[in-house]
Amino acid sequence: MGPWYTGFQMTLDILCKVVDNYGDIGVVYRLARALSELPAAPRLRLIVDDLAAFSLLEPAVDPSRMVQSVRDWTVLSWEGPTPENPAVYRDAYAGDPAVAVIECFACGRPDWFEAMLFNPDDSAARTIVNLEYLTAEDYAGDFHKMPSLTRSSRVRKHLFLPGFTAATGGLILDDAFMHARARYACARYACARYAPAERFRILVFGYERDYTRIVEDISLFSHERQVQVLLASGKSQRCFLAAWERAGRPFSTEPLPFLRQESWDELLASCDFLIVRGEDSMSRAALAGRPFLWQAYPQDGAHQLIKVKALLDRMRPYFHAASFQSVESAFLAFNDRLADGPDLVGGERIAPMLRVEGGLARSYAAFSESLVANGNLASSLMTFLREIV
Amino acid sequence: MLTTSQLRVGSIFKVDKDVLVVQRMLGQKGGRNGMVTKMRVKNLLTGGTSDLGLDSGEKFDEVDLDMHNMKLSYVDGDTYVFLDQESFEQYELAKDDLGDNASYITPEDEFDVEITFYEGKPVGVVLPINIERTITYCEPGIKGDTSGKSTKPATLDSGFVVQVPLFCDIGTRIKLDTRDGSFAERVK
Repeated sequence: MGPWYTGFQMTLDILCKVVDNYGDIGVVYRLARALSELPAAPRLRLIVDDLAAFSLLEPAVDPSRMVQSVRDWTVLSWEGPTPENPAVYRDAYAGDPAVAVIECFACGRPDWFEAMLFNPDDSAARTIVNLEYLTAEDYAGDFHKMPSLTRSSRVRKHLFLPGFTAATGGLILDDAFMHARARYACARYACARYAPAERFRILVFGYERDYTRIVEDISLFSHERQVQVLLASGKSQRCFLAAWERAGRPFSTEPLPFLRQESWDELLASCDFLIVRGEDSMSRAALAGRPFLWQAYPQDGAHQLIKVKALLDRMRPYFHAASFQSVESAFLAFNDRLADGPDLVGGERIAPMLRVEGGLARSYAAFSESLVANGNLASSLMTFLREIV
Repeated sequence: MLTTSQLRVGSIFKVDKDVLVVQRMLGQKGGRNGMVTKMRVKNLLTGGTSDLGLDSGEKFDEVDLDMHNMKLSYVDGDTYVFLDQESFEQYELAKDDLGDNASYITPEDEFDVEITFYEGKPVGVVLPINIERTITYCEPGIKGDTSGKSTKPATLDSGFVVQVPLFCDIGTRIKLDTRDGSFAERVK
C-alpha cells in the first residue's frame, strides 16, 4: 500500500453523537475540515444525531433534512431511513459502501448502519476506528492504534487516540486555526518590538463556578494594564459576571454570543490570556502558545485532577521549575472540587500568569511548538487508515 | 450476547469461528461514553494470544460452556491443580491460562471457584467478584487515617501486590475485586 496521498480516494463515514454542550460535534466539525484540507482528501459522510447542534457550527446544515450535501460532505441524520423515505440512504451508499468508519468517542453505530456493516450477505472487509477523547494521560500512547474487536472478524476495529506526544495521534491542525495562530503570533511580535497592544484581552470559557478569586486577580492586574475580559456564551458567563458585579465592576467585560468555530478560533488566538474548558478549546489554547488555565469537566471522586495533573506533566519540561509552581498551583486549585461539590475558592491565583512572570510566555510558546511538531492528527489518521484498510 | 463490560478474566466469547478467553485485564481508561479496557485474550483454537482494547459498546456471541465448582488443590510449578467438589477428579490448568486469577488464589482458600470447560477441556477459571485476602507486608499504617485518599502497595498472602489505603496494616484482611485486582474494602 503506497502513501495515503496517492492512490484511490477513500470514503470515510464519521459517526458522532452530541453528548453535551458542543464539544463532540465541535471536534468532528474541525476534523472534517482538516481532513478535507489534505492533499487527496477523502470523501466524507458525516452521520450525526443532533443536526440542530451541527447547524450552529455549520449554518449550511439543515436540521430538517435527513440526507444533504454540505461543503463537499454528505451529511446524514443518525435516525436513518424512515418508511416514507426508504431509498434515501440507499442512494447515499450506492456504489460507495461504508468501508472505513470513524466512530467518534465510542458513540456506537445506529441500527441501519450496523445492519449495513454486519450484513451477512456481504463478504467485504470493513474497518472501524474509534477516535477517542483527548487526554494527556500516559494511556493515550499505550492505547493508540491498539487493535480492538467487533462481533465479526470481517469488521475490524482499532483505537486511535489524540494526544500531546509523538506516541499518539497528535492534535488537529486545521488551516483556519493555524493561520489565525500565525497571524496573531506576528502581531504580538510587532507589539512587543514596537508598541504594546492597547488592551490586555482575557477570554473566559469555563464551567459554572465561583470566579471571585479570578476577578480579584484580574482587578489587581488592571491597575497595571488596561484589561478587557471577553466572556464566552454559556455556563461561565453568568457566574463570572456575578463575581464581577460583587467586586464593583473593576474592569471592562464583554459578554459574547455563541460563535461559530472559525470565529471562536480567531478570537482565542487573538487573546493574551485564556481560561478554557473542555478538550477542544484546551487543545486550541495549548496550540495558541499563550498562557492559559484549563478547567476540566468535574467528575466523581475529583477524577478530573488526574487529567489536569497529566496535562501539567506534559507542560512541565518547557517551564522553569520556579515559575511553573504558579501555573501548577493555579491549575490544581481551579479544578479541585467534587462533581457535585462546591468550589474551593482561593488557591487559583492567576496574577503571575497574567504578568507572564519568569518567562512563562516563552514556556507556553515552546510547549505549543512541541505540539505542532507532533504533526496533524488528520494526516496521521489518514496514514493509519491507508495501512489498515 | 456478552457486552464488553461483562467480560472478566476467565470469560469466554466468540468472534465468528474464533473462541476467545480473557486471560488478563491490562488496564482501563474511562470516558463519558464508558470504559475502554485493555485485555489479553487467548484464541482457544489457535493458542495464540493478543492484546486488545475493547470499548464498552461492543457485544459478542456467548459460548456454550460447562462450569464445574472446584477448589484449588495445589500448585506444582506453573501448573495449578483443581479438585472437582462433586466427582473429586483433578484438573490441571497452566498458570498462563489462569491469567490474572493465578495471583489471587492459594491452595488454602476455602471458597469455590468455577472452572470453565470448552469441548470437554478446562480452559479457564472464574472467581467470585470479591474474595478475601490477608496483607502479609506493607509499610506501617496511620492510625485514624480512614480517608482512603492516598494508597500504598501491599503484598497479599497470595503473593499479589495491590494498592491499599494508608490505614491498612500487616494482618489486615481485605476484599479484593477480582475483575481488576483492586482493593474493594477492608473486612470488618
